[in-house]
Amino acid sequence: MAPGQKLYPRATVKKIVKAHSNCNVSKNVDVTIFLDYVLFMQTLMKEATIEAKQGGERGITARSVRKVTADTLAKFKG
Amino acid sequence: MARESRPLPVATPSRQVATAETPTSVNPRSVRTPNNQGRGQQQRAQQGLSASGRKPAPPTATPHARAAFRTIDSRRAAIFTPHRTRRRSVREVRETPRNFLLSLGKVLARTTEPIASSSSSPGSQKEPSSGAGVDSTIHEEEDDDDDDDLPRRPRLSLPIDVEDEDDDSDLRPHRSAGLEDENFTVQSIELPRRALNENTGSRFSMGSTRMSDYFNRNDMLRSEDIGADSGFFPPLDAFNDNFNMGVEEELDAYDRLDSDAGRRDTGQESDFGIEVPVDMNESTFVIAPEIQDSPTRQPTEFNDFNGDGSNGSVDLGSDGGGFNELMDRRSYDDDDDHDRMEEEPLEEALDEAFSSIDKSMHSRMNRASFGDVGVEAVTGRASAQRSVKKRGKKVSKYGIEYPSLPPAVVKRLAQTFAKTSGAKGKITPDALQAIMQASEWFFEQLGDDLQAFAHHAHRKTIDESDMLTLMKRYASLPLI
Repeated sequence: MAPGQKLYPRATVKKIVKAHSNCNVSKNVDVTIFLDYVLFMQTLMKEATIEAKQGGERGITARSVRKVTADTLAKFKG
Repeated sequence: MARESRPLPVATPSRQVATAETPTSVNPRSVRTPNNQGRGQQQRAQQGLSASGRKPAPPTATPHARAAFRTIDSRRAAIFTPHRTRRRSVREVRETPRNFLLSLGKVLARTTEPIASSSSSPGSQKEPSSGAGVDSTIHEEEDDDDDDDLPRRPRLSLPIDVEDEDDDSDLRPHRSAGLEDENFTVQSIELPRRALNENTGSRFSMGSTRMSDYFNRNDMLRSEDIGADSGFFPPLDAFNDNFNMGVEEELDAYDRLDSDAGRRDTGQESDFGIEVPVDMNESTFVIAPEIQDSPTRQPTEFNDFNGDGSNGSVDLGSDGGGFNELMDRRSYDDDDDHDRMEEEPLEEALDEAFSSIDKSMHSRMNRASFGDVGVEAVTGRASAQRSVKKRGKKVSKYGIEYPSLPPAVVKRLAQTFAKTSGAKGKITPDALQAIMQASEWFFEQLGDDLQAFAHHAHRKTIDESDMLTLMKRYASLPLI
């Protein structure tokens, strides 16, 4: 990562969660949330890669991602 | 054969009509059910006497005869129309296939006649002799008997009552009853009035009352009529009604004249009722644009245009200064989208103010008023801003706007994990779009879950414990 870059858009994450939950978000939760999001992305990309390879596609494509999205979301359903 | 005896009594249509005319003839037929056999015998003598003379009642003992009677009765009951022609026509249709059987029946019947007489009462013996000439009638009856066996039982209960009354009685009461009912509905309202009127005075007086009252109290009468005739419509003149209560008798005389007036009045009310839906339609027109609106965004867009385009004159609504910042940061792409976006907010605002019909006109007017220059002057930049806003600003189900994650961050994350997971090549824009959509759904789901946990703990704030609880529930996360 470039040194000057933000690690993650902290305020944006907080706004997103706040809007979706209609609740206030306490101090350090957004970090945990972003961690969760990173885990989600990791799982999503891994699944998408597997799917792409099974489908014989060169890289990760929109199709492979879409195909995997539902399952991955279900995994991260509380 | 028993069959002979059966057809003989019932058969000829002429007889049937005669029987229908005479109640006595009808009664024995109905009575002949096995329980009533004793009665039937007594009645037979009556039948022989009362009937035209050809048809004495056959012996009740034979089941076929009973069946024949039942069938005849049931036919009468079923076919209320007294007309001989119909019955004949029906019989003929049924008979045609069975002419052979009928002929056989005639032959057999002649031989078997004495048997029938033995079972039957002495009075019945006379009958066959007279009925012998009426063989044609017998044939018809026999046909009926064979057919009737199946349908008879269900009909039994019904035809007995009907038979007592017979065709003539049945027909008359129905028609009269129908007329009476109608009369009651109409008259029930009118009769009491008339009676009151008559009581009050002679017809002459009533006529006089009409004239005098009519001139004086036109309004009064109308109001009363409305109340009396149609309870549904509240009288327009409530005050007048109270006054009229004392004068009711006099007013009653007017009813017919007044009724017209009352109807007119009611018609006016009904017009009001009609008007209401018209209003509703207008309201619906108003509502529709509201539904279409995502109101907060568009006015903000408008402001942005003005600010960027250096057209400060227009101030619609200033929702988000924060948006402007986001807008500025982002790259601008689409011109087409921009044009669409501009038109929509204007029209929507107009729709709220005006009916749908006036939309186009007003929208044009408003644009002109705002200054076509301002809108048109907005270059691709403004359009780009709107497209950006589309991406950036979304509204959650709670009506709260929120920005989406910056694509750069998502792309960086995706690429990192794609490499780690062994995928080659870059992430295509389409794939990135799909990933953005997935992360969007993820945050929505996450927000719902966290909110559920927080509410369960009676908190309005999402706490770290909620996040921990949520992540502990990720039982299915294997590798991570």
